[in-house]
Parts: sequence; C-alpha cells; structure tokens
Amino acid sequence: MSVQHRKSSALTLATMLLLLFVIVGCSNTGSGDESSSAASDQTSTKSITMSWPRDIGTMNPHTYNPSQLFAQSMLYEPLISYQKDGKLEPALAESWTISDDGKVYTFKLRQGVKFSDGTPFNAEIVKKNFDAVMKNKDTHSWLGIVGVLDKTEVVDDQTFRMTLTEPYYPVLQDLSVVRPFRFLGEAGFPDDGDTSQGIKEPVGTGPWMLAEYKQDEYAVFKRNPNYWGTAPKVDQITVKIIPDGETRVLAFEKGDLDLIYGEGVISLDAFQQLRDNDEYVTQLSDPVGTRSLLLNSSNPKLSDVRVRMALQQGFNKQAMVEGVTSGLEDPADTVLSKNYPYTNVDLEPITYDVEKSKALLDEAGWKLPAGGTVREKDGQQLDFEMIFDKTDPIQKAMAETIQAEWSELGVKVNLTGLELTVQIKRLKANDFDLYFWYNYGAPYDPHSFINVVASPGFGISETLSALPMKKELDDQVHAALSSTDETKRQELYGSILKTLQEQSAIVPISYIKKTAVYQKKISNFIFPANRDENPFVGIELGNQ
Amino acid sequence: MIGYIGKRMIAIIPIVFIATLVTFALIHISPVDPAEAYLTAAHIYPTPELLAQKRHEFGLDQPLLTQYAHTIQKIAKLDFGTSYLTNKPVWDEVKLRLPATAELAFWSMLLSVFVSIPLGILAAVYKNSWIDMVSRAISYFGASIPQFWLGYLLIFFFAVKLDWLPVEGRGSWENLVLPTITLSLILIAVYTRLLRSSVLEQLQETYVQYARTRGIRERVIMLKHVLKIAISPLITGMGMSMGKLLTGTIIVEQVFSWPGFGRYFVDAIFNRDIPVIQCYVFLAACLFIVCNLLVDLVQLVMDPRISAKGRAEH
Repeated sequence: MSVQHRKSSALTLATMLLLLFVIVGCSNTGSGDESSSAASDQTSTKSITMSWPRDIGTMNPHTYNPSQLFAQSMLYEPLISYQKDGKLEPALAESWTISDDGKVYTFKLRQGVKFSDGTPFNAEIVKKNFDAVMKNKDTHSWLGIVGVLDKTEVVDDQTFRMTLTEPYYPVLQDLSVVRPFRFLGEAGFPDDGDTSQGIKEPVGTGPWMLAEYKQDEYAVFKRNPNYWGTAPKVDQITVKIIPDGETRVLAFEKGDLDLIYGEGVISLDAFQQLRDNDEYVTQLSDPVGTRSLLLNSSNPKLSDVRVRMALQQGFNKQAMVEGVTSGLEDPADTVLSKNYPYTNVDLEPITYDVEKSKALLDEAGWKLPAGGTVREKDGQQLDFEMIFDKTDPIQKAMAETIQAEWSELGVKVNLTGLELTVQIKRLKANDFDLYFWYNYGAPYDPHSFINVVASPGFGISETLSALPMKKELDDQVHAALSSTDETKRQELYGSILKTLQEQSAIVPISYIKKTAVYQKKISNFIFPANRDENPFVGIELGNQ
Repeated sequence: MIGYIGKRMIAIIPIVFIATLVTFALIHISPVDPAEAYLTAAHIYPTPELLAQKRHEFGLDQPLLTQYAHTIQKIAKLDFGTSYLTNKPVWDEVKLRLPATAELAFWSMLLSVFVSIPLGILAAVYKNSWIDMVSRAISYFGASIPQFWLGYLLIFFFAVKLDWLPVEGRGSWENLVLPTITLSLILIAVYTRLLRSSVLEQLQETYVQYARTRGIRERVIMLKHVLKIAISPLITGMGMSMGKLLTGTIIVEQVFSWPGFGRYFVDAIFNRDIPVIQCYVFLAACLFIVCNLLVDLVQLVMDPRISAKGRAEH
C-alpha cells in the first residue's frame, strides 16, 4: 500500500504545485510598463531601428559623457560641417571671412533656419551658446579653439564675429566637431544660462528631434518639421539600447534591428558571419583612425633610429593585420591615412624585410651572443615591455604576434596586459617602452595629431624626445598651427610627416574602419566623414 | 524572540560598517585615479589643472580618514553622492533601476521555488526513476552552464529561430520569460538537490514509519510532517543563494538588455564611477545581512524543537 499510496500523493502534491505555478506564471507580471511604441512595428511610418551599446544620455550639446556623440549630432548642428577628405562646407554659417592676420573670423549665418520648436536661429543665440561653452573653459580646454578664443560679438541678426588671441588655423575644424560648439535653442537653456549643469529640453536645428525616450531602453527620433535642409527620407529612427554585442547580433538576425553601426560594436567573428550571409549588407568605412605602435625613444635602447627601423621592418604587418582583423582593418604604411587635409604626401613605405632588420641591429651594436637567443650590447639585453589593453582582443593578438616575430630577430618582448585607465596613466607618465596608440580621427586630425607631437604630456612628444631634430619638429608644428598661408602649411605638414616616417618612432600598423551591417531594405547608407557624426544623412528605406 | 531579533539588528551595524570600509579601501587601493577615470570617460584630456580641479570637486584631495568619515555620514542619510558620469544623485538613479532588478529577481525566485519543490519531492519519492534522472540532469546542466551562454542559447532558439519571444528589452510579460529562466536555472539546480536529499533523509525517520502504521494518509504525512521539516534546508539555501541571484542579475541584465541595477553597476565599473560602485556594494551587503536575518528568523519559527514540544504535549 504504502509505496503506491506514497507515489500517488506525491504526484498529487507535485501537480498542485505545478498548477499553481502555471496560474501565477500566466497572470500578468505586473511590471506596470506599457509596451512602448518603439517596440510596435508601425507600417505607416518609414522607420529604421538601430542599436547602440549605451544610453543616449542627457542630449546636452555642451557636455560630454554620458551623452552619445551620434545622438547629439542628430539634434545639434555646427556652423561648419566637415565633409569627405576634410572639406569644410557651410552648415549653419553660409559663408565666413578670415582677417589677414588670421585672428578675426566673421560668419554670415544661414537665413531662415529655425529650431525644432520654431524659434529663429540668429547671431544672438549663437553668442549665447558660445558664452555657455566658454563659461566652462576648463572642461573644453582639450580643443584648440578654446585656448585662443578671445571674444565673440553679435554684429547683426545674421552676422557673428569671433576674435582670437593668436592665429590658429584649425579653428574651423574645431567648430565642426560634435561637441561642444553646437547650438541649443532658447527654450533649452536653464535660467542662469549655464548649460554645464543641465538643460531644460533638447532643442536643436538638426534634421531630427527626440520624440520619445526611456532611459537605458530606447530613444525615438522623429523628423524635425522645421528643418532648413533636405528633409530625411525616413520618418523615424529608433535606437534600442543593447549593451551586449552578441545580443545585438541575435536581435539583428531576428529582424528586430535594421542596422548595426559603429566601431567595435560587434565582434570580428560576428561581422564575418553576417558578411558571409547573403541576406544582409555589410560595409566598411574609409579609415577613421590609425592603430600605431609607439617605440619610445626616451628609452636609450630605442633612441637609435636603426633599432627602431629594424623593429618596424622585422614583423609582417600585412599578414598580421589580415590574420588578426580578418580584413576589417587595412595594413597602414603611414601614421595618418591620406583622407585628411594635408596628409596626401608621398612617403616611402617601410616594408617587411627580416634580413635588413637583422643587419640594422648588428650595425647598431646589438649582437646575438653565441648560443643565445636575445641580442646584447655592453652587457645589456635587447628587451622591452609592451603594454596593451587586456580587454581588447585585437591588441592582445597583435602584441603576441609581434612578440613572436621579434624573438626571431633576437629581441625579447615582455607583454603586460593592463586596464585601459592604467595604460593611459603610464602613457602620460612616459612610463612605457612599446605602446598601442590611436590618433583622434576626423575632424580632429591632422592638427590634433601634430599638436601632440609638440606638446608634452600626451606620450607622443616623449616618444619622439630622442629624435635629433625634435626641436625643429616642434617649431614646424607651431608654425603650421599658426600659419595663415595654405601653401606654407602644406609644406610644413609634408615635412613633419616625412620626418616621422623616416624616424620610425610611431610605427603605423593598421587603419581602423567603422562597420555597418544592415538589412537589404536599407539603401543609400553613407558613412559620415566626421568620425563622431550620425550616419542617417541620406539613408533610405526600400519597399520590402 | 524579541530579544534575539534586537540583538541581531544591533549586530548589523558593525557588519555594514566593515562592508563600507572594505569597499572604500578597495577603491583607494586601485591604481586608477577616479578624477582621471572621469575625464577619460568624458573624452576630456586630463591636464594637471583639470585633474586637480576634479580631485578637489570629488573631495579626493582630503585625507583618507576625512574622506571615509564623509562617506559614512552621507551613507547614513542614504546620500551616495552624485554619479561621476551623469552628475545625477546616485540614489535617484538606483531607485529608477531597482524595480526592474527586483522584478527579475522576484520572478526568478518564484519560478525556481515552484519548479524545484515538486521536482525535488518527486526525485526523492521516485528515487532512481526517470524523473530522478531528469532532475539530476537539470541540476547538472543548471549548475555547470555559464549563465551568459544559456542566455544566448535561449535567445537563439526561442527568439530568433522559433520567434516566440522577444530577444531583449523590458515591457511586456514576454520580455520576462527568457531572463527569468536564465536566472532561475542555477537556483533550480541547487534547490532541487537540496530538497531531494532532505526529503530522502526524512523519509528514513522513524516518525514517518510510525505515522504510516497509524494509517495516516501518505499525502498528510508528506505535507504535514516530512515537507515541514525537509523544507528547512531549502530556506537556508535560498538565503545563501542571494549571491548567485545578485551576480546572476548582473549577467542576465547585460545579455537581455534589462534596464536594471546590475547593468548600471557594470557600466559604473567600466567607467570607474565610484559613488555608484560604493552604493552597489553597500546595498548588496545590506541585502545579504537582511536575507541571513530573515532565514534565521524563519528557522526559529519552524524550529523542529518547538514542534517536538508540541508533540510531547499530546
């Protein structure tokens, strides 16, 4: 009896509990959240859904984190926009004049521009925005213009003038960056005018306006009906916040996302897998930055140009870049790619040549001892420490590849994986031998790049410190940045880039590109020339 | 009883104090300067002047003891400072996100209890039968599979391939299904085995034999006697598995884009947003302490000796 009985009662009990669970489970979870319109598929509107790893942030045009650049650029516009190959084109300013001494810039503002709330865009509001930015000068001191801006004036309703303390040619490029010099409408300003503490509402002149927003979940942008330029072809952009790269790919494969866009937003494996699938379109942008390896010449072993040259020639860049990045990056011959202003200079690429490399090391006095594997000179071994970001799989793989290839030359490399913040700290303290470094990209380069060549504290000037012509290089940088003569400026850039190429202290490895993966219904997708801008200009939706 | 609770409540204070001290020490041992992390995260080049200004703003230029005293004073008022990243009060940000995490934890706990109790009982009653095998398989699987991977697998099959459920996000009950299953599987694994072994143990007890000979129905024996005692280790287990639940929410929220506290914490770690990290650790410590206290109280109420007394009076 007992066994039978026991079993039946246990089964009854289990069934009761399971039934209860089903009842509870099927009742509403009571999250209290209404389904968002973002989640509902609206067929009437032309809508594109993309994902972003982080919340779009406060949408304040004058502050940094946690606001996301691409989203800020959807709402707020610059006076001047940065276009392909570094061409500067009129945006909210339709023309500008520069005084002969290079200090006074006068901007004629575009007529008929309105903010998304219908209020007019004029010199008054331009000045108000400039004042708000300059009130927090310290925060923005990284941008060259902030250091040289002396005063701003409203000449008349459509004319705005600014005066610099000294000539600084990249002022126009600086005005094209996504933050902080973009324009918030009157309604967005707090009562005291200090936007650094927050804004009332995100009102801009851009083609989009923020229609719906749920922190950490999604943001919906709709067309700005008052937009002065060509209206976007789609009605709505929905940005879903998906922090995890794999989840992003799964959501895309399910069809929840129309577009995945950005730098490093999906893994290399995932990108390849999507690229090999005919259902989707994948695109790579022009180079947006260079991955370089700094050979710190302030280390005595690296102060000899022959050693630096040997190291650059001693690893197979082409094979490494293709192997590690699966073709997502291109091998780089020069520190700056040629799609920036003034960088289209003829420079001799430094090619892979192991024999030459060994000969150079011998010539520099670093000899392989009998039976040894590491070269020596005056009782010292030729060994270096390479620091890399331990969370970056590409850096790690490249560090290991270079370590293996250089060991063939008799050069010992010790690898140290660090947290990014520690890495940056060591770069600034000049406490490194070999370091993976990236330039800033468009629209910040080439002027930001040459600026760090001459300014201590960024790691680059230190890397170049043992170059015999360092002083001359610094003078050329200062001359270029303050030059008002275009031809002279091009000459100076050419000379600076040539010196850097010949000195081999900054070894170009690869050109980084942005990736885009999208469904076939999307057409006319164009990568923005400005690295930080949004990619929705011109994007269209087919009838699929 | 009241005295016991009072004593336990007082004991909480030094534990919380130690928790804050450990967090504070860990943050200050770390080689990264928060001011620098803040500027780096904000894409601002940290010039020495800016660093000094930020350090002053964050109070990092004061002696450690003063900083710690300030921290304690503030925490006592539930003031965790402002997030380095958003410039908003941390407590407000946390309050916004806690409901999502609580919702996820609640349903996962509920699911695991409702699955593991019948499964554990059945596995014990039908020892070595197929149901026992199934429960064992679920337990091994649940205990060994990495949560993030389980999350991806579930998304792949149920959201992408079968298109039954959404991939990510929060909103409707459908959004809750996959994260809840992901989070509860490990708990189910633990609870089922716990309950199985304790039910088996009780079934060997003489009081069960005695009850049977008295002709008491099996169901009554199970519910009134066996389960009442066998459930005790499960309750302890639930208290002990708070840690699993907490770490689980961090992973699951990341995988399913669930806008909760765990995800916020991950972001804070990456950005070295120290006030947020401090707040998280403090709340986690409090949660552990409260759970332990609750478990002890429940055990006290269910103490078998009390029922033994009851039986003695028969």
